[in-house]
Formats: sequence, C-alpha cells, structure tokens
Amino acid sequence: MKKKVVSILLSAALATGILAGCGSGNSETETTASRESSVKESTSSEETTEVSTAESGEKVKIRMTYWNSEDTVESLLNYLAAAVPDVEIEYQFIDNSNYNTVVDTQLSAGEGPDIICESPASSLKHAKLGYLESLDDLGSLYSDAGTSVYSYDGSVYALPGISWFEGIYYNKALFEENNIELPKTFDEYITVCKEFQELGIAPLAAGLKSWEPMLKNSMAFVTAEYLSTPEGKDFGEKYRNGETTLDGVWNSYLEKWSEMITEGIYTTDMTGIDHDQALDEFATGQAAMFCSGPWDLEAIQSKNPDLEIDMMPFYGTQESAGWLIGGPGCGFAVNSASENKEAAMKVLEALSTVEGQEAFWQDNQGGSSYLEGADFELPTVYDGAASALEAGNVYCPWNEWGDAASAHETYGTEMQSYLLGTQDLSTTLSNVDAAVKELLEK
Amino acid sequence: MRSANAIVKKQKLRAGSLGKYFYIFILPALVIYLIFSITPFLFTIYYSFTDYTDLNPIYLSFVGFKNYSKVFETPVMLKAISNSVIYAILLTGFQVILGLPIAVVLDNKFKTRNLLRAAFFFPAVFSALIVGYLWNFILSSSDSGLINNLLHQLGFGTFNFFTANRALYSVILTQVWQWTGWAMVIFLANLQGISKDLYEAAEIDGARAGQRFFKITLPLMCPSVKIVVVTGLIGGMKVFDIIYSMTSGGPGDATQTVMTVMMKRGISDGFYSTGAAFGVCFFVIVMTISAVITRLMGKWSDQIQ
Repeated sequence: MKKKVVSILLSAALATGILAGCGSGNSETETTASRESSVKESTSSEETTEVSTAESGEKVKIRMTYWNSEDTVESLLNYLAAAVPDVEIEYQFIDNSNYNTVVDTQLSAGEGPDIICESPASSLKHAKLGYLESLDDLGSLYSDAGTSVYSYDGSVYALPGISWFEGIYYNKALFEENNIELPKTFDEYITVCKEFQELGIAPLAAGLKSWEPMLKNSMAFVTAEYLSTPEGKDFGEKYRNGETTLDGVWNSYLEKWSEMITEGIYTTDMTGIDHDQALDEFATGQAAMFCSGPWDLEAIQSKNPDLEIDMMPFYGTQESAGWLIGGPGCGFAVNSASENKEAAMKVLEALSTVEGQEAFWQDNQGGSSYLEGADFELPTVYDGAASALEAGNVYCPWNEWGDAASAHETYGTEMQSYLLGTQDLSTTLSNVDAAVKELLEK
Repeated sequence: MRSANAIVKKQKLRAGSLGKYFYIFILPALVIYLIFSITPFLFTIYYSFTDYTDLNPIYLSFVGFKNYSKVFETPVMLKAISNSVIYAILLTGFQVILGLPIAVVLDNKFKTRNLLRAAFFFPAVFSALIVGYLWNFILSSSDSGLINNLLHQLGFGTFNFFTANRALYSVILTQVWQWTGWAMVIFLANLQGISKDLYEAAEIDGARAGQRFFKITLPLMCPSVKIVVVTGLIGGMKVFDIIYSMTSGGPGDATQTVMTVMMKRGISDGFYSTGAAFGVCFFVIVMTISAVITRLMGKWSDQIQ
C-alpha cells in the first residue's frame, strides 16, 4: 500500500514535470515569437503573412545562403541593410562540402532560401529544374563574361558576384636576392624553377594532397596554349555537348605541361602535404612560389608580416600577358518558389549598383566586378598580375562544361594518379571523359 | 509466506510475461526504429531500381538492375569496397593482436598500471577529425612533419606516407593507434572475470606462462574478442570521418572507401539511384561478413564449452 502511494506521488510529480516542461516550452515559443515580431516591428496579428507585412511597409525577412562565412559579406550585408531598409536578410552559412546537398534538398521540397548563392554548375541545374527566377533585366547591367556562365536557354538566372582568380604568389626578396628574372613564358618559368632548385630553395610550395593545385595549374597552361586560341575557343561548348573529348585533344598540351613533373617541380612527395602546410612553407620563405588567390593573402601575411610578395600569372609557351584561373565567385539567384520574391529582387537591385558591388568588393579585395562601370583599384600585392587582369585573361575552363562542371574534381584526382605514376596521360584524360559523359547523360 | 510472496513478485517481473505492458514499453523504440531505420532502408531499395537523380527528382521510372550493374562496372566503387574490406580486416586484426597482450600485461599488478591503462585508452577519447588533423602534421612530407623532420635531421630523405600504395595503410596506422586502447579496455574487463584459481591450478600442474595464456586466457577471452571483432569489422567497413579528415579519398582514388564514394557520387554528384544501389550492395556485404564472423565465433565459443 505504502509503495502504491509512493508510486502515485512519483507519477504525479513526473506528470507535473512534463506539464511544466511543456508549459515552459510554450512560453519560450511565445517569447521567441514576440522577439521575432518585435524585430519585424509587427503590430498586426500573428496570422499576418510576411507579404502583407511588406505591403504595409514593415520589414520583410528573407533568407540568403552562401558557402563562405559571414565575414566575407559583412560589408555587403551592412550596405544592404541601409540600402533596402524594409528587408531584413537572414544570412545562412552552409559549409561548401554540404552546400549543394542542403540547397538541392530544400529546393526539391519547394522550399529553400529566397536568395541563393550559386556556382555556374548549380545555377544551370536549378534553372533547368525551374527552381530559379529569370533575372534578364538585372543581368543586362553586367558584362557577358560574367553572365554567360549563369545563362540557360537565353535567360540569365544568377547575377555574377566579385570574381575570384588564382595565380602564382612569389617571394620578391628571394627573386631579387638571387638575381632571378621573372618569367614571361612557360619555358622561362621552368628555367626559373631549376635555378631555385640549384640554389637549394624549393621553387614551388604545393599541397598536392588536395586535387586542386594540379587541376588549376595544368588547366591554366591549356588555357594559354589552346583554349584561348581560335582553335580552342569553342572547346568548352563542344565538350558540354558531347562533341569532343579531352583525350586526343588536350594530350599534347599536357605532355608539355608535364615538364612540371619531369623537372621535379611537382614531386610525388607533395601528395603528403596539404594546402595549409604548403602555405606555411611559402610564408616562412622555404619556397619561392605558391599558387593561390586573394583568399589566402591574409593567412600568408599574418604568418609572416615581413614577407614581400607579388603575384604572377600562369604562362603558355608564347610570351603573353599571362593567364589567371578564375571566374565569377558566386552568382546571386532568386528562388522561384519564394514567397518574398519582390523583396529578394529589391536586394539584387541594390546589389547591382556600383555601391553594392563596392560593398561586396570590400571583403573580397583583389577580385573585380562584372557590373558595367564598377571598377576598383587593385591592391599593390597583385601588381604582377595586373596585365593579365587588364587583358581580361581570367578563365575557368570547367565553368564551360555545363552539367559536367563537377567533373573538374575528377580531373584533379586523376591528375594526382598521373603524378604518382599509376596511370598514363591518355588513361587520365579518358577517365575524366567517362565521368563527364556520365554526368551529361544523367 | 513471505518467501512465497517474493517468488510471485519475482515471476511478475520476469521478461516475457509482461503482457500488454510489453507492447507499451516496446512501442516508442519500435516506432523510432521503423521511421528512422526501416523506412529509409526500404526507400533506398526502391530508389536503387529507379532513375532518381538530382536532375530527375520527381518523375521516377523503373530501370531494373541497371544501377546495380553500374556499381560493378565503376572502378572507383570496386576500389572503395576493396579498401573498406582491407581497412576493416587490418584494423580489427591489429586491435586484437596488439590489444590482447597489452591487456594481459596491464592486468598484472605494478606501480604504473593505472597510468599506462589511461595512456593507452586516451586516444579513443578524441574525435576522428582531431586525430586526422594531428596525424596529418605528424606524417606530413613537408619539413614541418614530425617524422620527416626527424628523418631530415638524421640525414635521410623524405618518406611520403601518402603515395598511392601507402596512403591507406598510413590511415590504418593512425586508427590502430587510436582504437587499440579501446579494445584493451574490453579485454581487461573480460580478463578480470577469469578466476585466478584456474591460473593457480595450472601453476601447480607446472604450466608455463605461454601455456597459461594459450590454454586458459585465450579460450576464456572469446566473449570480448567476439565484441571487438564484430564491432571492429562493421565499424571499419563504414569508415568515413578519418578518411575525410586525412586524405578525402586521395591521392587519386587510393583511399576511397564505400562511404566516401557514396557521399561523393551518391549525394554530391546527384546519382541518387546509383548511390542507393551501392548502399544496398554494401549492406549485403556487411551482413554476409557479420554472419560469417558470428558463426565462426559461435563455433569457437561452442568448442570452449
């Protein structure tokens, strides 16, 4: 009997606890709701939709996703908050490795962010599936170089952001102290590397544990030698239409580029070094050069503030202004299923002004804007790459591959196998062709 | 009378005689299991027979065994299965081969016993991502790499742990370091349950240390070895985090495992149906290996009894 009383009391206490828990949850929800409503400065009833809130002149809350952390768009968000005061942007960072998966899932469920930062490949996919709103009017304010990679079926589906580019950072002091001239061609570049090797200095720091360095370095050479020439200009278009292959076309160029391997500039030991370790080698003066872009400048300078660096472009066998690998950093697209399309468009309109581009550029210095009339001063650290930038020699070959753009990763990993000697060049390229074919046939 | 009441109460609490309460108690776990485990698995089987991709997410068509044949025609998928099996077998093997003697030694009484037990178990506390990051620096080919820095100072050349042939074994090495201590703890728990009388009797009969280990310790360690082997093999087959943090499947495809390929092709590249077929194949492989191991262990257990 006594036990029964105890158990009844315990049950009652448990039930009270549960109810109390629910109660506090409700009150918390209410608190959150009231907090949100205070943010929106809403005085209308809880049933009021955001659209009607917009109509009544109140703030509309929209969501924007991007794979870069908030500090890379801080100035832009501050600018937009002032330029579009009736819209509140909820910025959502999603890690690059999960970005497409998360956004794809949300969009396929008819939901997703109102403004989506897209890569050329993902914008093409989303445009095909009807997830994106056409942005032809705003797109006409940008140069074709920026909008072409975000176009599908004659319409623009994303507005190009500040461009990214990758070149070769070099240690100015090491070049000057050893009286080594800057190269102007690929052959001169190889000679420069040999000179450093003879001096016992590593010519190039490279984290080949990642598939990216060899992808960009070799493609920059092919761009200079072939893709930028009249014969190679339409290669990207033919490739995405399944009319040509890498194997059989790129072989001769990559055989020449393979001097990077045969001359010991890229070594098999480098597959045991990651990007950060390679950056350390360059920043601490152990290596004379390092291939990267503006995103690594702060890290290099913070590791060694005294290091004097500049950037040179990649070269082909003929003397030229040189080439940088790059393109639009991200494209801003509007979700066609968004309930706040009007607000999202207002934000993109504000972005498509010189002031908007300047605000975005503040946190991405070094890149350039595709908006007509928006020109920004290049930081002096990129003086050596200025001629390539002025000539418009910034190109990203896989952006032209359409639905198969993601195969650039396969290209990078296959090149690792080529470096390690587990396969020849023809097999390497045909493996990439097979991956591209599979993606195009999807 | 009191003892009779006690018996009745005991019988009421016995498993299997809970009546309707059995169903009430089992229901929450069953519902969660059905929703989050069985239903997705059935959907995976369904999708593996369709043309579901990121470009075709709604209007699915039945494609028969096309996705399954693609799995066996794709070299990276076969490589991933082979790497996963090698990884699981070697890691589990080393866990047992190294963990068992360490446990036997640390079962003896000596001053630093507890400290050594803690030291061996310590790596298992860290997440695989931290361990991967740490070992990346230790094994790096650059001069900042701990091992290569030592080699350079001793006048040797660089030893690259991440070539096409070595990368997988380098990752396994780090995992042996991390998980042998965990196996040791399981073995220790088992060892402490073995009666000391058996050893005393054997000693009186003149059995040497080696004989005592092989004739008494090893046979009676069957339950813990079974736990370590089964969990090690299944966990090893599903390895993802350490590969992701150390090599991301590279260089080339040298360290691709089932999970890394499934994530890349099945999810990132949008080949959902091929990924689903790969997942089903993987399930069959893991189930077969588990069944074989359980049966072998069962036979060993029967022999001892």
